[in-house]
Amino acid sequence: MARVDLQGLHKVWDTATAVDGLDLTINDGEFVAILGPSGCGKSTTLFMLAGVYLPTAGDILFDGARINEVEARDRNVGIVFQSYALYPNMTVLQNILFPLRFQKHPDADQRARDMADLVQVGDLLDRRPGQLSGGQQQRVALARALVKRPNLLLLDEPLSNLDATLRLTMRAEIRRITRELGVTTILVTHDQLEATTMADRVVCMNAGRIEQVGTAEDLYLRPQSRFVAGFIGSPPINFIEGSVTGGALRCDGQTIAVAAPDGPVCIGLRPELLIPVEDGLAAKVTHVEAMGREVLTSVETAFGTLRFLEPTARPRWRIGDDLQLGFAPDASIVFGAAGTRLDGATAALKKVIHA
Amino acid sequence: MASVDWNALAAKSRRSRRWKNGLLIGFLTLVSVPILLPFFWMVVISVTARTGGVEAAVLWLACAVLVPATCAYGAAHLALPHPRARIIAGGVIAAAAALGLWALVGDQLHLHNYRFLVNSNLVEDIRGAATAGGQFPWVWTAFGNSLLVASVSTALKVIVATLAGYYLSRFAFRGRSGFLQGLLILEVFHPWMLTIPIFLVIYWVGLLNTLTGPILVLTAIDLPFFIFIMKGFFDAVPWDIEMSAMTDGASRRQAFRMVVLPQVRAGLIAIAVLGFIKGWEEYVFVTALRTGNSYWVMSTYLYYVAEDVMGVDYGLVAAVSVFYMIPSLALYLWCQRYLTQMTMGGVKG
Repeated sequence: MARVDLQGLHKVWDTATAVDGLDLTINDGEFVAILGPSGCGKSTTLFMLAGVYLPTAGDILFDGARINEVEARDRNVGIVFQSYALYPNMTVLQNILFPLRFQKHPDADQRARDMADLVQVGDLLDRRPGQLSGGQQQRVALARALVKRPNLLLLDEPLSNLDATLRLTMRAEIRRITRELGVTTILVTHDQLEATTMADRVVCMNAGRIEQVGTAEDLYLRPQSRFVAGFIGSPPINFIEGSVTGGALRCDGQTIAVAAPDGPVCIGLRPELLIPVEDGLAAKVTHVEAMGREVLTSVETAFGTLRFLEPTARPRWRIGDDLQLGFAPDASIVFGAAGTRLDGATAALKKVIHA
Repeated sequence: MASVDWNALAAKSRRSRRWKNGLLIGFLTLVSVPILLPFFWMVVISVTARTGGVEAAVLWLACAVLVPATCAYGAAHLALPHPRARIIAGGVIAAAAALGLWALVGDQLHLHNYRFLVNSNLVEDIRGAATAGGQFPWVWTAFGNSLLVASVSTALKVIVATLAGYYLSRFAFRGRSGFLQGLLILEVFHPWMLTIPIFLVIYWVGLLNTLTGPILVLTAIDLPFFIFIMKGFFDAVPWDIEMSAMTDGASRRQAFRMVVLPQVRAGLIAIAVLGFIKGWEEYVFVTALRTGNSYWVMSTYLYYVAEDVMGVDYGLVAAVSVFYMIPSLALYLWCQRYLTQMTMGGVKG
């Protein structure tokens, strides 16, 4: 178990910068998720932590000691790959024993069996990986990564090859096991649900940089950049873009009051915080999606297409209906031209403001 | 829709399927006859011919038994889906064929043509004085040399192709794509075109008239293709398995040996079999790289038996051929499964 520090971490390939200055501290025993779209540098970061890639610049510290040049096999890091990367020529037991073969443990066999029991594959020890289901392979990969009691557990999109039901169970399972062992864990994923449900803290990355670090709630309710606001949340947040003049956005006779200096802004509005009201922004329904628990309605307004979510199973609107939309001022998140959040700035409909 | 007779349509489909199958099998049988007959004849001649010539009647009688037996085996294979039933049918047909042969040509069978296996001085036996410079060897000497050439060159090919294939598959280095293209371009030139330059090189290096010469040349000729095959196999091994082994505590070499190599086993066996058979069959370079009769291998032995020493003793030639064929045939049959996998691995590359 270890505390992990990343200090100004860079990774530059021949032509492209994959990781562009990462500063992050992960506490001992903490479960941190690195979340971002493909190509944001999250896997590169993971492989630098594992010792597969050498950082171009910056330092990696385990418990305060710089380990940049320490080889992968000496770092005592466990890793679970997206494909599980089990050794097909070995049985489950041999797979779990593999990391212990290089450490000469007197009780290696017993430890491997205990670990197999912990991840509940104790009765599959003589099978080969090819004879296991996806979930079982996942458990074996986890046991193999944990059997040597690693300083750090790295999970690279561990759930993306599982079906939806299994994903749900494995999410809880992985969390239970890492908590039981108290191992520092870094999960890399592009799936926001995976990140927000499992991790103590989520690191949202984009284009090689950290956009925001925080709890799931922080990222959802208080996104610090337009990217985070757009990336977190499903269905995605609505954006209204425009230029503020005299404290308002105007278009086709409709007005949104914006408490921000003049200039280009982008207003983010979560779909569940947009509500049909008596007197608000005129909108025409263009598409209705019943999703079971809620209904997602797309409307065309003067400020572009917006989508709002209603917590009902039965659609209230039909295509072509006219309605008015409103939102509370504290529901809006205003971003400046650079995509960063403007602190203190809010937006409101001039006419409808209800407390 | 009421008047459609589904049963009649199904019967029609069954009839046409049967016809098509029958035609296909008939055609395939027909074209395989000229390919298989020489093998039959070779075996039959080797156990029937006496000094001086071949009895045509014996040949035809033997074919009258063997051809129907082969066809029967094919038919049994088609009719019986169960593997055990197939084996039993094969045994029954083989027994029937053996009985038929015994009844028709049994009195003609003899093993005298195989005397070369026990007689170390075949030439003296037949002609008195030696023909081929008095150095015509015992067959086991040639057999041993062939084994040596084939196995040493195979070992070299497998080792070099495996390491090179792995490196090409896993590492980026300057000139990698050029190297890969170069491997392909080398395949364009038939090695026989290079016989004279190769002869000169071997002469200058001082390996003329040694077995080391053909061993090195055969290795060099096969390597480009084999490297390519092995690269394909390594490409098919996921990268993360290796990385996983290395984070598990293995060195790169340990990861290669314990995790990667077991997964390219089929490729190793495939190139080993191909390489061995090529070395076993080699004639051109073993002939070109010796100036006298400094060494003998099976192919030159067979050639001299056929052309130089014996002239017309077809029985002996056939017997040597059968003896020559058995090791590569056995190896091929034994490893057939892996050879078919090779094409798949190759395509992936």
